[in-house]
Amino acid sequence: MGGSKSHGAGSRSGHNFSMSNVDIQAAAERWVEEHSECLFRFALIRVRKPEVAEDLVQETFLAAVRGYEKFGGRSSERSWLCGILKNKVVDYFRKLGHETSFTDMEFLSDEFSDKFVSVGFWNHDKGPKEWKPDADEVMHRGEFWQTMRDCLSKLPQKVRDVFTMREMDDVPSKEICTILSISDSNLWVMLHRARMALRECLELNWFDVSAGGNK
Amino acid sequence: MPEEPYNPSPIGNPSILARKNWWQTKLVIFIGKHTPKCREMVRILSKSLDEPMPWSMRIKKRIHYLICCWCQRYEEQLLYMRKTARKFAEHADESSAIPVSEEQKERWKQAVRGER
Repeated sequence: MGGSKSHGAGSRSGHNFSMSNVDIQAAAERWVEEHSECLFRFALIRVRKPEVAEDLVQETFLAAVRGYEKFGGRSSERSWLCGILKNKVVDYFRKLGHETSFTDMEFLSDEFSDKFVSVGFWNHDKGPKEWKPDADEVMHRGEFWQTMRDCLSKLPQKVRDVFTMREMDDVPSKEICTILSISDSNLWVMLHRARMALRECLELNWFDVSAGGNK
Repeated sequence: MPEEPYNPSPIGNPSILARKNWWQTKLVIFIGKHTPKCREMVRILSKSLDEPMPWSMRIKKRIHYLICCWCQRYEEQLLYMRKTARKFAEHADESSAIPVSEEQKERWKQAVRGER
């Protein structure tokens, strides 16, 4: 391994990339203190199960200890650890994709048919309403993120995983198909349903309420 | 169930072409017949977030918006949700209610101690 590397950037955060095992363990314990909260939230927001998030964070720390020599100080410790965790999350999704049939027929067969009249135009009473023009400002409100979290939690797990990877982490469509062993068309159906359901949920639980002056 | 009447952009709706006169009505019906129906349009709009929309469809979409403010809003809201989802992770602190316990931190420390 490249333990004898002597990078100019090695002094960032006091790193020395040829540290002994004892030093690396001490550094790892410091990572737990300084970065575990952030990493845990990062994992939890994606996998939603605290026990899974805890395991993924642990795997991240272990991988970081094993691969410390490869960390050349080119980024901050936190970015480096987040990068490892992101791969762990993708591995988790990949494993899930192989373990399950990856469909939720009830949700996916729902065409939101009440939204459209039979000839295919919007049912005008149920079409998208105009969202408040200050929609950008709500991003600074904690209640909005709670609503967003609640709406995401209503999606079936597999659909939510796909949505999370595509929209939150900007994973390319092709890569998601490969990770989860699903077809392009299956992915698009899931994303379409997820977006439609999330849009509806946000409208009902945030924008309509906001328009009523309750927020 | 009887077929509902063919009625894109009914009178009084907020779209640009809202059948305010005979010509508009003719135009609305023509556009309604030659651009995708809204049910299909929302699928196309969703797919366009994942792969580029062909030019011909972009033109049809723009023309469709003349008679359908709802599809136009739908696209704007899809883009808003994408922007929001990307920000969501950054704001996790505000929506996450589960703190990391000291016991959990200790378990992680023990795991790294045993690693090398």
